[in-house]
Amino acid sequence: MSGRHLPDYFDPIETASRDYLDDLQQGAIVAMARHAYERAPLIREAWDKAGVKPSDIRSIADFAAKAPIIDKDDVRAFRDRTGDPAGGMSASVPGETVSIGTTSGTTGDPTPVPNWYRSGSEEAYFRDHWHIGLRPGDHFAWMMFTFRGGHRRRFYPEHGITEICFSISPSEIPRYTEACRRWGPVSGAMFSNPVLLMLEAHFERTGEDPVEVFKSFKGAIFGGEPLGDRLSKLTKSWGLELFETTSLGEVSGATMCRMHDGFHAYEDLAYIETVDPVTREPLPDGAIGELVVTTLNDRLTPLLRYGSGDLVRIKRGLCGCGRNHARYDLLGRATDQILVNGRSILPREIMGLVELHDESRAGLFQIVRTAREMDKLHLRVGYDLARLCGDVGAFRSRLHDAIAAAIDVPLELELVDEQDLLKLGPPHKIPRVTSR
Amino acid sequence: MTTIANRRPDFIGCYDALGTRHFYGATAQEIDRSAFALSRVLRSFEFAPGSNVLTISMVPEVIQYGAFERAVQMLGFYGLNADDSPFDAGRVESIVRQFAPVAVCGVAKSTLDGLAMMGHDPVKIFAGRVVWARPDAYDALVALGIPARRVASIGPMLALECASGGLHFDDREWIIDDKEGALILSSRMNRVEPVERLATGYMGSIGAEACGCGMREQVVKLA
Repeated sequence: MSGRHLPDYFDPIETASRDYLDDLQQGAIVAMARHAYERAPLIREAWDKAGVKPSDIRSIADFAAKAPIIDKDDVRAFRDRTGDPAGGMSASVPGETVSIGTTSGTTGDPTPVPNWYRSGSEEAYFRDHWHIGLRPGDHFAWMMFTFRGGHRRRFYPEHGITEICFSISPSEIPRYTEACRRWGPVSGAMFSNPVLLMLEAHFERTGEDPVEVFKSFKGAIFGGEPLGDRLSKLTKSWGLELFETTSLGEVSGATMCRMHDGFHAYEDLAYIETVDPVTREPLPDGAIGELVVTTLNDRLTPLLRYGSGDLVRIKRGLCGCGRNHARYDLLGRATDQILVNGRSILPREIMGLVELHDESRAGLFQIVRTAREMDKLHLRVGYDLARLCGDVGAFRSRLHDAIAAAIDVPLELELVDEQDLLKLGPPHKIPRVTSR
Repeated sequence: MTTIANRRPDFIGCYDALGTRHFYGATAQEIDRSAFALSRVLRSFEFAPGSNVLTISMVPEVIQYGAFERAVQMLGFYGLNADDSPFDAGRVESIVRQFAPVAVCGVAKSTLDGLAMMGHDPVKIFAGRVVWARPDAYDALVALGIPARRVASIGPMLALECASGGLHFDDREWIIDDKEGALILSSRMNRVEPVERLATGYMGSIGAEACGCGMREQVVKLA
């Protein structure tokens, strides 16, 4: 029965017209502004400081012109000042909170994210997996941490899909491939650079055929970091189509469709805009700016005009997948940007250059930034001692010359054992930009 | 034991027995049935509504710890989660510091190893809370002076210690035979994946007397 006589889109809102989405957003923003002001202490504080009341917001234009922008620093400052672990963003809605997830905590204490039975991310990702081809009666391979929301998720089973559960660990890979052969999952999540490297090592070690393992997959979602050229080619050779995803300003997820032309932001779940990262003045669609996101349905964490720190370019208009929902190109983190002799460099660009070499194929590196503008790029790259052919000096020269030629700026290359970098966090979470 | 016609598992998790990890599927209804049994054990502690409860587990433990988490929700507590991994021990410390959970369930050796690696004192973290320890961490916590309670995944079933010290299991759903000291598990109810005389790898016995907490579920004593 899988996939037959069922619609191509999970939710009719996915193919709503631009006018319908605009009207929907207008109503949702007015309602959410009122709710957030009444329930979220940080929003009330920021709006009072800006002299804005919910009654001032009658349209999207009012909202974009008057509502103050908040960001992670504001949330942290509120947390430090008040002791509220949610940083003033957790709305008390009796009866709605069923659990409290936490963020990855890469840059400090994890931030709590109150959960209802369903979150905006679950709504979005289910649509994405449906787009990939997941249908009632299918199996879904789920490899994840518990901290995002524990075991409470029921969205997939409620729609007749069996979830095969794995943790993210090398010891799980043989079970993963066994499960793929046994149940033939149609899609999977969450693939990441570390997971792909674990799979690659497993296939190399065992000789198991990745094409056979992934033959049932119509696709899988990949996130955590950009998907570099090497791993993209590798997974294509496995017959596996990966759909990149990213966080939509902590409001939801944003995933590429089969056109692979930007991350789709579902505009019934979030209102997105771009602003100048320095002046915070609104920018038109198509301009590179900081992504600012407003939730339209998360009553427990009602983020309004949340500056994500991501540098993006928003594209609207009908996508080849049939959706009108906005897409955006993700260029990197605004705070990760470094100028070397006037040239903008972001970790996303470096990733693809580092992972091309066998010794550093894990893509572990840090940009050492002592000032926003520098006259030389200081790059620290982790390498795998076991993969070193010849002496380290020869590898350094080869890597240095390849990267320097690609980015065309003076380069200072520091090589370290990749295990030293892994002490800083999971492979996809090590700080890509550091001051020392 | 018959299977339920035309039904499939909603979740495929796992259990460990005799050193091997096995896939195991269950429906959401089966997880909810387990949750009701666990909620009766949880109630013996009389936590205030709105209390925070931290669960330390891994995603494939959905059949066991998903049920515990559901029990937490049923009683109006707020569940928080960390992975059962040395690398996520920092999250355990952070959650305890920020949210002061009344209880922490699923503390394992891996968490204790991670806390030690990160320089955190487990006594400071766990003192004054109800702490359910997995078998590989129980003795270490007790040696530190922490009055740990037991939690154990016995095959696909989670046994949880009540406030009176009885390690209860859902005897409506499961039968445990203590054959020559080895605990053998079978399912009583129709399940999407019936269990027939599973050698769990645990040694112990079934308590003959009722538990002082007043709950009807039987008590298992681990050797």
